[in-house]
Amino acid sequence: MDSSELYHVKQQFVLGAYKTLVDLTLPDPNSPDFLPILIYQARSHIALNNPKAALQLVPADSENVALKAVATLAKFVAAEGTADKEALLEELRDLSVEIEGDDVEGTDRDKATVRVLAGTAFARAGELEEALETLGADTEDPEAVAVIVQIYLSINRPDLAKKEYERSKRWAEDDLLLQLIESLIGLATGKDGYHNPYTFYTEQLGNPSLSSPHVLTARGVTRILRNEFPEAQSDLQESLEQYKDDAEALAASAVASGLSSTKKGETDANELWARLTSEYPDHPSVVDLSKKSALFDEAMAKYTVPPLATATA
Amino acid sequence: MSVMLTKFESKSNRVKGLAFHPTQPLLAAGLHNGSIQLWNYRMGVLVDRFEEHEGTRALLVSGGDDYKIKVWDIRPQNRRCLFTLHGHLDYLRTTQFHHEMPWIISCSDDQTIRIWNSTSRNCIAVLTGHSHYVMSAFFHPKDDLVVSASMDQTVRVWDISGLRKGSPNSGPGNFETFDTFSTVKYVLEGHDRGVNYATFHPTLPLILSAADDRTIKIWRMSETKAWEVDSCRGHFNNVSAAIFHPKHELIVSCGEDKTVRVWDLAKRTAIQTFRREHDRFWDLAAHPNLNLFAAGHDSGLIVFKLERERPAFAVHQNTLYYIRDKYVRSYDFETASDLGLLSVRKFGSPYVPPRTLSFNPAENAVIVTISSDNGMYELTTLPKPSSAQGGELKDSSVDGKRGSGMSAIFVARNRFAVLNKTTQLIEVRDTSNSVVKTIKPPVQTNEIFYGGTACLILSSTATVVLYDIQQQKTLAEINSPPVKYVMWNADSSLVALMSKHTITIANRNFSQHSLIHETIRIKSGAWDDAGVFIYSTLNHVKYCLYQGDHGVICTLDNPVYLTRVKGKTIHCLDRSARPRTITFDPTEYRFKLALLKNNYEEMLYIIKTSTLLGQSIIAYLQQKGYPEIALHFVQDINTRFELAIECGNLDVALETAESIDRPDCWERLAQQALKQGNHKIVEKAYQKTKNFDKLSFLYLATGSTDKLSKMQKIADARGNPMSRFHNALYAGDVMSRISVLRDVGMYPLAYLTAKSHGLEELAEEILEAAGLSPADVDDVPSFGKSSRKPPPVINPTTDFIWPSLSTGENFFDRALASGSLENGIEPTYVNGDAAAGSLAALDDWAKDEEVHEEIDPEEGGWELDAGAEFSASHEVHEEVDEEEEELGAGATPGISEIEHWVKNSPLAADHVAAGSFDTAMQLLNRQLGVVNFEPLKPLFLSIYRSSHTYISPVASLPPLQLHIRRNPSESSLSRVLPVAARSLQSIRSEFADGARDVAGNRLVNAQATFRSVLRALLVVVLTSDEEAKQWRDMVTSTREYLLGVSIELERRRVAQEEPDNLERNLELAAYFTHCQLQPVHLQIALRSAITVFGKANNSAHAARFAKRLLELKPDAKIAATARQRVAAGERNPRNAVEISYDEFTSFEICAASFTAIYKGSPSVQCPYTNATFQPQYKGSLDPLTELTEIGASASGLPAPW
Repeated sequence: MDSSELYHVKQQFVLGAYKTLVDLTLPDPNSPDFLPILIYQARSHIALNNPKAALQLVPADSENVALKAVATLAKFVAAEGTADKEALLEELRDLSVEIEGDDVEGTDRDKATVRVLAGTAFARAGELEEALETLGADTEDPEAVAVIVQIYLSINRPDLAKKEYERSKRWAEDDLLLQLIESLIGLATGKDGYHNPYTFYTEQLGNPSLSSPHVLTARGVTRILRNEFPEAQSDLQESLEQYKDDAEALAASAVASGLSSTKKGETDANELWARLTSEYPDHPSVVDLSKKSALFDEAMAKYTVPPLATATA
Repeated sequence: MSVMLTKFESKSNRVKGLAFHPTQPLLAAGLHNGSIQLWNYRMGVLVDRFEEHEGTRALLVSGGDDYKIKVWDIRPQNRRCLFTLHGHLDYLRTTQFHHEMPWIISCSDDQTIRIWNSTSRNCIAVLTGHSHYVMSAFFHPKDDLVVSASMDQTVRVWDISGLRKGSPNSGPGNFETFDTFSTVKYVLEGHDRGVNYATFHPTLPLILSAADDRTIKIWRMSETKAWEVDSCRGHFNNVSAAIFHPKHELIVSCGEDKTVRVWDLAKRTAIQTFRREHDRFWDLAAHPNLNLFAAGHDSGLIVFKLERERPAFAVHQNTLYYIRDKYVRSYDFETASDLGLLSVRKFGSPYVPPRTLSFNPAENAVIVTISSDNGMYELTTLPKPSSAQGGELKDSSVDGKRGSGMSAIFVARNRFAVLNKTTQLIEVRDTSNSVVKTIKPPVQTNEIFYGGTACLILSSTATVVLYDIQQQKTLAEINSPPVKYVMWNADSSLVALMSKHTITIANRNFSQHSLIHETIRIKSGAWDDAGVFIYSTLNHVKYCLYQGDHGVICTLDNPVYLTRVKGKTIHCLDRSARPRTITFDPTEYRFKLALLKNNYEEMLYIIKTSTLLGQSIIAYLQQKGYPEIALHFVQDINTRFELAIECGNLDVALETAESIDRPDCWERLAQQALKQGNHKIVEKAYQKTKNFDKLSFLYLATGSTDKLSKMQKIADARGNPMSRFHNALYAGDVMSRISVLRDVGMYPLAYLTAKSHGLEELAEEILEAAGLSPADVDDVPSFGKSSRKPPPVINPTTDFIWPSLSTGENFFDRALASGSLENGIEPTYVNGDAAAGSLAALDDWAKDEEVHEEIDPEEGGWELDAGAEFSASHEVHEEVDEEEEELGAGATPGISEIEHWVKNSPLAADHVAAGSFDTAMQLLNRQLGVVNFEPLKPLFLSIYRSSHTYISPVASLPPLQLHIRRNPSESSLSRVLPVAARSLQSIRSEFADGARDVAGNRLVNAQATFRSVLRALLVVVLTSDEEAKQWRDMVTSTREYLLGVSIELERRRVAQEEPDNLERNLELAAYFTHCQLQPVHLQIALRSAITVFGKANNSAHAARFAKRLLELKPDAKIAATARQRVAAGERNPRNAVEISYDEFTSFEICAASFTAIYKGSPSVQCPYTNATFQPQYKGSLDPLTELTEIGASASGLPAPW
């Protein structure tokens, strides 16, 4: 049983309240919660795409495997060149092997964290197979399940995702993370008109012990999927008001206004999109769109345009 | 039936007679010792006692062993025995009033039953026939019948309809005449021993009898006969009374075997037995309307209920879900529509009503609990409202999921918690009723309630615990008596925890709470929209503010169960679970709430708009430390003065003091003013009370010397030397001091004073006056020169007032002073009127919608309907291969949703949304002959980006791409389709913009807009024939406008660049008038043509255009010029310039060369817009749309619906 503080930290991490976690004051270093909370905090930094802050947080000389994994992931996220990245991936591979042995410093929880972080890094690098392997097909760590499920969903295998989820239901008690996974699968498959994710996020918004703009964003996205565009827009706007540097909310907001089928919506969408493109050139939707733009040009080239019919012709 | 709820018990002598008051909570009990007790059973107090009989059995009207019947007035102010009826010859057994006639029936050991007229106080009938003591005799509740029971082992039914007719001879003692109209109708024989009690069923033709043979018999009667139906056996001693349950099919009986028993009327089986150790039961009474019974026994009486009355209910938004008669029903608070939804008849014991109901909006399901069978719950989904109408209601046993547990509630959209009280375990179950989690509660838990997201409220014997399910730990604990009901407010920020006599209002994490104690039982409660808790006790509706203030709203005759409070209406369920409303005035608590929140606007608003505010609210304000607010709405002068003093408002105090003008007021005013340093008011108050001493001292203190001297004069006038002396002293006026001393004959002092002030001459004078010489006073020691005088005035305080208390204007002063009283400052939010605010918001919203749809009235006729719904005709059911694939590393990527999109739709728009641009282009090319895709690029990209969204649920993983569908309720991948980014609707508004540009002569803009419209129309998602038709109409109109605008632009170019080419100019002007435009725009074209042709002196043509213009019925002014033009044309029907324009042969206009293609001439078409071209343009790019190849073959749009 986790202590109340650690429980809350975990809950916030799961629900994407990274900002809150980053601003959290760490407990006393001698407290048993210190390390796990530190790890969550560092991971929050990484999730906010601020790996440098994470590195500062992690003591360089730590022997704890989980800490090492966090540091490596942070470096990996920060790394630019493929060679660097490959080296760091190698480090994570070593760590994943290392934890199989008995003589490492770290609890079971730390080991699970190592797997999750390594899996995350592999997934980021596109090594999905390796990621799944590292996480293990028989894992009993809900966090690992979450990563696995997302990987399955990203390769359009909701059937496998569902299976993994059903399997985890057997051992995981009604965990918050599990509910998140369930709603995630709902988002990807559109089961029952996105009813489940919608109620899940609505419920979490009413949770007294946390407030996370991420949940608002998630509900906004869900509402977009439910074709409730004005409502979605209001959620997303609120989310952006709470935390304006959320690329995801911004992107979703652009989508929602673009679909509101009013003139104003269209203009707003273009503005928001321009903002997204300039502020977050790395956001997948931006990257994707530029790819599509190239694709368009390519496809267009197949057609020859005849001369314009004019009176003089 | 596991409950017999004792409401009240008394200790007394043996109770042999009982009667309920039909409307008031009163119960009369006849005691064996002859006294009658009148109890208020709700409050549990003895209201009155009547002692004149010797041995009493029946009441209100009472009969005694003294052979007398007495009628009592029970009203407390004039309680007395009204009259006594004499006639019976032996002990009386029962007496009863008739329900409508002024009749009293009595029966006696003299073997007779008598009916008396209570107004004439005569015996009007004597029913004879019983051959032993008559033990009971009662009127039928409706018919003219009497049923009696006798020791002669019979039950008799008498017909007394004769009594109503004709006036019987009321002469006393004339027995013979009575028999003629009161006859025995039936004699019911069957009991083996004497019968103690017989009574009619309130509605059915049934009779119940209780006898010394230990049985209860049920008899049925028809018009002609009566017969025994069945017997209830079980009492093991004499049965003293048996009655029908007034509402349910139950019988209640009691007997000398010290039991009260409940029987099922239909099955004649015992349901429940209530035993008492030492007391034999003698009488039983049922309340006519309520579920209440009273039983009299050897040492007192008990009042009891047979079942809980509190209906199970739950409120969700505007709907109340509740259970009545074992049916789950829904009640809409706004429309008051009340629908049966679900039968729960087969759930649990048929005699026990369900205890609680928990509703889950996400699943549209309910959990019902019942206390029978040691507690059970049942989870059922509610049928859709539509299916509930007509036919049988769904029965919960069909798909209900059951289990045992004392209380069960939903804790999340797909989880519910069940408490098992005996094992003390809470199980969290999912909607398929399987346990997902088991919790061991930290305290002995009697009941569980919803505690907010992922939390439970556990009710224990002395505490309530807020418990986190996920974390399995106690978040907070409050001491409280056992909590019975929990109510959350609308935004779940406050919760009311109700127990029998207390209410705890807590915030959502229990960190703050306040407690209210009630002496009367608390029944229910509901939150007002403004966050005030309204609750009901047995006899009151009350309110309670979050900080604990509470007060009465109204009184209740009968308890109600509040369900919802909205504005001035309380919605509630009454004891028989019927929805009711109570209208009340929430002003008082709203005012208090506003006060609490310092919301002065609202307070002011309330003050102005309501007639609130008696003494109590003033007292409240005073008590709460807001006398200055109370001051603003008090008229009574005395109260105003009190309040003004209290809040230090001296102006008001002075004003009121003047009108009261009583010394004590002035004194208090003076005190208060002194405190504030307002010496002017102090002065005034002292003057008023003629308090000269204080006044003088005040002048001294303020340094007001001239006033002091005035005071001296006043003192002089008053002839008060003491005062004179004082004033003289204060004023430092030695002369007058001396003169005072001299006046009163105190020469020595006067002398010394003069002397010590160096006034030798005066001293001499005094000596002289005293008849002494200086030598006589030699022995007086000489004093130094006195400098006694008042301290000098440093500040001229006289003219100033010390601002020791801020007299700044408060909100009310300003508001009241600014004269805004009339229109008032509308508060932003007043509960109850809030609807107005939200309506306004809605209006705004609706306005947006309107604007959105609005097309310039001039361009009317575009109100095409885009309402048709999409219906998928793809009924191909794709079986998804369920291959048993190993989870893990070997997973191969599946088919992306966007690929399904491409597969599922033949529409280019859907392919664009899927990002499959090349297939989209192929489709457009094939369907509409589009070849130039360059202009479509922004459109394609914006549609694509609007069809996908991203979310990153797991930290640091790349976000997951999600695909937005236009049919979100569809989950089969073979039917999903992308969202429609462009709708006809939005394009229509763009078209309207273009049309406005035409009217506003912004032709270049218009041309661009129309082109954009045509581009957008390429990627519209169509879902029905209707829409396809609209689409085609739209394409055609846009083409015509675009053509017209292009022609006009060309004409202007010609006029500009080739001014000599008048011919062409005229031609183009003429062609423009042949584009199919809306009349209003056609007018523009025609007027322009008229002008151009007129200038060119082509009056015949101009006249033709003018005639066409007139056909369009333009404005009067335009029509006038047109008529002139027509007239001119008739005068001079000639054309100066020859042009190739033949309006009488039908023609199309080539959209490239802008020349006429007369009917029958060869032409080619644009595959998209069907614009016509001269044949030589085949194969070139359409200059109108700049998209398609002229003359290319095209298949047209598919119709996938």
